Amino acid sequence: MAHISLRDVSVHFPVYGAGANSFKKTLAASVTGGRLGKETGVTVVQALSGINLELKEGDRLGLVGHNGAGKSTLLRTLAGIYEPSAGEFYRQGTVASLIDPMLGIELDANGFENIMLRGLIMGLGKKKIEKLTPDICEFSGLGEYLNMPVRTYSTGMLMRLAFSISTSTEADILLMDEWLSVGDAEFTEHAEIRMKKVVSNSGILVLASHSPDLIDRECNRVIRLEHGSVMHE
Amino acid sequence: MSKVISNLHRNPWADWWDGTRRTDVWWTLAWYDIVLRYRRSLLGPLWLTLSMGIMILGMGPLYGSLFKVDLTLFFPHLALGVIFWTFFSGVVNESCSVFVNANNHLKQGYFPISMFVWRCISRNIMQLAHHLVLYVPVAMWAGKSFSWSMWLVIPAFLIAIVNAHALGLLLGLVCARFRDVGQIVSSVMQMLMFLTPVMWLPESLPDRGKLILLNPLAQMLELLRLPLLGGTPSLGTWAGILGWTAINLFLASIVFKRTYRRVVYWL
Repeated sequence: MAHISLRDVSVHFPVYGAGANSFKKTLAASVTGGRLGKETGVTVVQALSGINLELKEGDRLGLVGHNGAGKSTLLRTLAGIYEPSAGEFYRQGTVASLIDPMLGIELDANGFENIMLRGLIMGLGKKKIEKLTPDICEFSGLGEYLNMPVRTYSTGMLMRLAFSISTSTEADILLMDEWLSVGDAEFTEHAEIRMKKVVSNSGILVLASHSPDLIDRECNRVIRLEHGSVMHE
Repeated sequence: MSKVISNLHRNPWADWWDGTRRTDVWWTLAWYDIVLRYRRSLLGPLWLTLSMGIMILGMGPLYGSLFKVDLTLFFPHLALGVIFWTFFSGVVNESCSVFVNANNHLKQGYFPISMFVWRCISRNIMQLAHHLVLYVPVAMWAGKSFSWSMWLVIPAFLIAIVNAHALGLLLGLVCARFRDVGQIVSSVMQMLMFLTPVMWLPESLPDRGKLILLNPLAQMLELLRLPLLGGTPSLGTWAGILGWTAINLFLASIVFKRTYRRVVYWL
């Protein structure tokens, strides 16, 4: 059973080695980013403050907000990357993070090796990856190119490969930073179907996006983040 | 700092074990680190062996004649010294950047950090293996024969790995927070190379100079080198290294326990 519960969760970053130019900071705080505060001489960025969130099976949450509002930080907190600085955080269920589908891709390795590397990074075992490989190869449609080093790929091909690997498993909780859409018209269609399947098989979806259409289409709940706090639901 | 309650907040040792038991992940990553570096070269990782061989061959006769010592005695000593020192300095210097270099992984996904220290260590062990084969022809040339005391190299190597891991966590975490420490460490390592009998024989040291042999790297080197040369390290050296290991483990566990999840914020 997928379940996420956040109570008064805050995340603040110490920024070491940041310039002491206070004007720049004030400006930065008003244009982008969360609140900037001073604490024992170290600049502290309040990336998230007092977030309350309750997500249960079937929730499709859309995160909206301007650049630096804390959408990605919230996603990463949900993924367990950032341990909250304060508050209560409970999470149940397996998590698949599609925050960065390119994570773990080595440009000098070939397609097959990258399937293995990326799979391991996603927490899969070698046997499981070997079992998934034919399906990933077929879906990516890269054929013979999989024997070539990835650095020879075009951006579109690289995205195809990353997408195919990233979406080859399913989890209770799916975290996404922008919808994954890749490739030419033909592949986009395939990708869309696969994406829909992965999403519908997950218990909870959290999707950060700047596209109102996408959020309308995919989500049944929306929260707007501003300066690291939830403005309205 | 305010209180944090979380069911993801695991015991630090559970987290450490989680990273440690994924041998497939860190070993594969380390393997690709080596393979990809040499992918486009003809000889591949054999370059590791070759360049080390050239260095030893160049240094052996030169230093042998400078110190006026018997080359059959000195050459194996120097070869193992340089080979193991390369391993030590590789581990120590790369330890300083384990987490900084893994920032892409650590910021984009959840990973137990011990995994990256193991990756660094196994990469260095693979390099060591490529270098160590060079000792075989050197030992044959010097007329070394097999002795049972050689097996002592195994416990010595295990101690080396324990220390490498503890030091990797310790230096990796401290250097992620204080970026100057890496610079300090690399200059200290440079100095330590001269204070350690890598290229000179410990016997040639005057009595009051023997104190410098108490440095942990000199002791570790003796434990690894002497058995392969056919000797037996003294009990004092074993005791000494166990003392250093205890200090190392103690410091590493304190730092690890306090900062193993915090490190992501520093990258």
